[in-house]
This record gives sequence, C-alpha cells and structure tokens, in this order.
Amino acid sequence: MTGDAVETIIVIDDDYAMRLSCERILSKTGFVVQTFEDGARGLAAVAELRPALVLVDLKMPGLSGMEVIPRIREIDPNAVIVVITGYATIGTAVDAMKAGAYDFLPKPFSPDELRLIVRRGLERRQLELGSRQCEIERELMKRRFVSFVSHQLKTPLVAVHQYLEVLARLGDTPDMWGKAREWISRCLARTDEMHQLIDDWLTLSRIEGGSFGRQRADADLHDTLTHLVESHRPAAAERGITLALDAAPLLPVHADPTCLTVLFDNLIGNAVKYNREGGTVEVVAERSDGEILVTVRDTGVGIPADAVPLLFEEFYRVPREGAAVPGTGLGLPIARRIALELGGTITVESTEGEGTTFRVRLPRRFDEPAPGEEVP
Amino acid sequence: MNRAYRILLIDDDPDFSAAVSTYLEANGFTVVRAASGREGVTLAARERPALILLDIIMDERTDGLFTEGALRELPGLADVPILVISSLYDQEADFSVPPDRMWGANTAFVRKPIDPTDLLERIRTLLDVPES
Repeated sequence: MTGDAVETIIVIDDDYAMRLSCERILSKTGFVVQTFEDGARGLAAVAELRPALVLVDLKMPGLSGMEVIPRIREIDPNAVIVVITGYATIGTAVDAMKAGAYDFLPKPFSPDELRLIVRRGLERRQLELGSRQCEIERELMKRRFVSFVSHQLKTPLVAVHQYLEVLARLGDTPDMWGKAREWISRCLARTDEMHQLIDDWLTLSRIEGGSFGRQRADADLHDTLTHLVESHRPAAAERGITLALDAAPLLPVHADPTCLTVLFDNLIGNAVKYNREGGTVEVVAERSDGEILVTVRDTGVGIPADAVPLLFEEFYRVPREGAAVPGTGLGLPIARRIALELGGTITVESTEGEGTTFRVRLPRRFDEPAPGEEVP
Repeated sequence: MNRAYRILLIDDDPDFSAAVSTYLEANGFTVVRAASGREGVTLAARERPALILLDIIMDERTDGLFTEGALRELPGLADVPILVISSLYDQEADFSVPPDRMWGANTAFVRKPIDPTDLLERIRTLLDVPES
C-alpha cells in the first residue's frame, strides 16, 4: 500500500465463513476491513465509514444485495461495489452492474481472485467505466466458466483418483476382489461423466462463440422427433416408462440438424431421467400460430418453484433427495441457447411431485404448404 | 481394537465416500456416512463419532462451513477432531489455515483427493490409536 490513507473495505454477507475469509484475506493485504451480516447494518456502516469499496452478497435475508447496491450509490457514488454470489450468471451480473456495481465475484473464489478484483476495483475507482461494460461482460463469462468448469471437472476426477488410491493399497486383500469389479465400473461411469461434461461444455462454448449450429438446412421436425423418441425407448422401457409421440405429419423448419437433435435429445432425455418408475413422457409437436410448438411433458418428480428460475443456468442442478442422477448441469442451458439461436423460445412449467412440461417454439418454414393447406 | 473408534464421513460424492470408508474400515475403523451437511449433523448427534471427515463444498455451496459450526454446537462434540476435506484448497493457503477464534483447535484441513496413508496416520495420531 502506498499513499497516505489506508483504504477501508466493507463486506456485507450473511455467510459468516465468507465474511471471515474476506476479512482475513483483505486485512492481510493491508486494508481496514469491517464486516456486516445484513444489508441494513452494512448501509449504516457505509454512511459512517465511507469505504472505498464494498463487497455485497446478492442473496441475503432481509435487504437483498440488489436493493443494497443503489442505496450505497446514493450514499457515496464513488464507492466501488463488487457483488458476491453463488450461481453466477451473466444476467445477474449485468443487472447488478446496471444497478451500479463495478464487478462481480462468483463463489467459490480464491484469495487471489478476491485480491485481484479488489485491487482492480480500487484502481478504476477514479476512472469512467463508460464503454467498458461490454468488455466486463466478456471477462465475466470467461472467469465464471473457468472456475465452475474446473470445480465440476475435479469432482469426478477426485472420485476416480480416490478409488485407484485405495485399490492400489488394498487391491490384494481378498475382501477387495468383489469390490474391485464394482469400483472399476464406477470409475468408468465417472470418466464418462467427465467426457460428457467436456463435450457439453464445448458445445455450449461453441454455440456462444458462434461456431455451432450454423449449417442450416430444411428439415422435418416430425422425423427428428421420431428418431429421438425411438432412441430413448430402451432407457424408458427399463424403468417401465411409457414414451408417447404425437407429431403432426409435416413440421418444416430451417435449422441446423445437429442443433435440433441436441435440443430435443436433452429435453426427452431429462423427461425420462427425472421421471418416476412407470411414469409417462408425452412429446407433442404441432403447428401453432405460424410456429411449431413442441411440448415435452413428464410425470416425474417435478421442480420446486424456487428452483425453476435457476434451471437454465450453467451447472445448476436441482437438489434431490436420494441417489444422485448423473448429469452435467449443462443440458438445459444448451437447450435454451439452441432455441434462441434458432429464433425460438423455451419455457418450463412444473408442479413438484406431479411433473414438468417444457415448451419449445420454433419458427416454421413457410415455403412449403402444410397438407390440406392451399398453395398460394 | 479400532472398531471402538467411529468415524463420521460427510461428503456428497458417493464414490469418494465409498473409497475412503472402505479404506478406513479395512484398517479397523467403523465408518458412518452422510451425504449432506444436514444428515451429517443428525448422524453426529446420534452416533457420537470419535472423529469427523467433512467435505466443504457440497451441492455447489459452502455447506461444510456451516456444518462445522453446527457440529461444534452439539453436546459432546465441541472437541471432536474434524478434518475438513476439499479439492478447493489446492493452492489456496489462506483458506486452509482458519482464523483461530472461529475454528477450534481441533479442526484441520486435508486436501482432496486424500492420500490414504497420510490420512490414516493423521487419524491415528489425532485419536491416539496404536498401529494394529
């Protein structure tokens, strides 16, 4: 630290471990750090202490981070605001920045990330942000991906490593002979999970980067869905799930065939995966208001209301009781990206314990008359 | 005999738990497994473990950090050794040394994946168990 005054930083977070970590890291770096567990206390302190920088958790009981940001700006427009949150999304980041935050720190973060963002925030304190918004968004997207992807990739890797470590030590004991076989198949399943994660991540990155799904061609969604439903039939039958397709005879779209396959494969796959034993999956495809509407309805476990807004966020997975269902947390974000890329929309409705319905609307190709329609 | 020593393993990854508990059981410990922080606290109250292994990041949240506090509040568990495990702490020394006033003297960190021999050594030392 150079200069005459030591900078003050205020941390507002309801998670005591987070307050503690921030305090420890930043005071070691030479700042005066004060922490507060809720928005009201934090704001009072901002007014009193006039900090150079405020770290605000977005999700807190009482005053939320989003409510706190504009109030800090009112008290001191020069205070740099950095928001902390789990489930980082570009949407929330942009909202927070629109409300006046300078930057965004997704949990979990390392001490270095915290120090870096604080240093950068203070450096820029006097500068105009202006046209940096776009640059920040790109930077955020990159940073979030790197930290989440590495954590997600580590999890199956750790499991495989742990099995191998134990096998290496106990492999020769008779007790292990039966287990070894089971563990090897678990290791294979976890490496599959890792592969899937890498594939999904690449797909998502390629859609975002614009290098995926640009090979548009005329296609009939009726055929795409028929093939997909057949491909999911064995997995459905294994758990006694009825898989029904009701598709209008001709559903012309102009879209990349891989995109269509990935999109509906994800939705039908989920409908089977998160269904109950003996449940049903209904896939209905029809023309609706000049569009094509595909409805995928399941009779599964459903999604709690508070989880619905998070469904399309990268790596989010609905917390479930009981045995873990394999998945990467990227299927729905990919589905949504594709729907948007194709000029369509995707929506979801769910009742916990009853089931979930996804609706995809895609633009219909108009150069071909539907059966029974007049040729103009 | 080590069987008297019950270890509670709180981790949301069933494969990680299976591997570690098998190793500890092969070395004579009894292992009780919990898949979430909440289940861990319930089991800790019932099973009275001699030592607890606690994963920090469960379900994308720092669930383990709350769990440590909740475990310490249970009667009789204030001084039980807790080994906090995480793959997060690889190069993040600041997180690995907890501030003294918040974490008890009986909480320590172990990096994930765990070296089984090291873990066994640490557990034996903490519990004062002679090598069998």
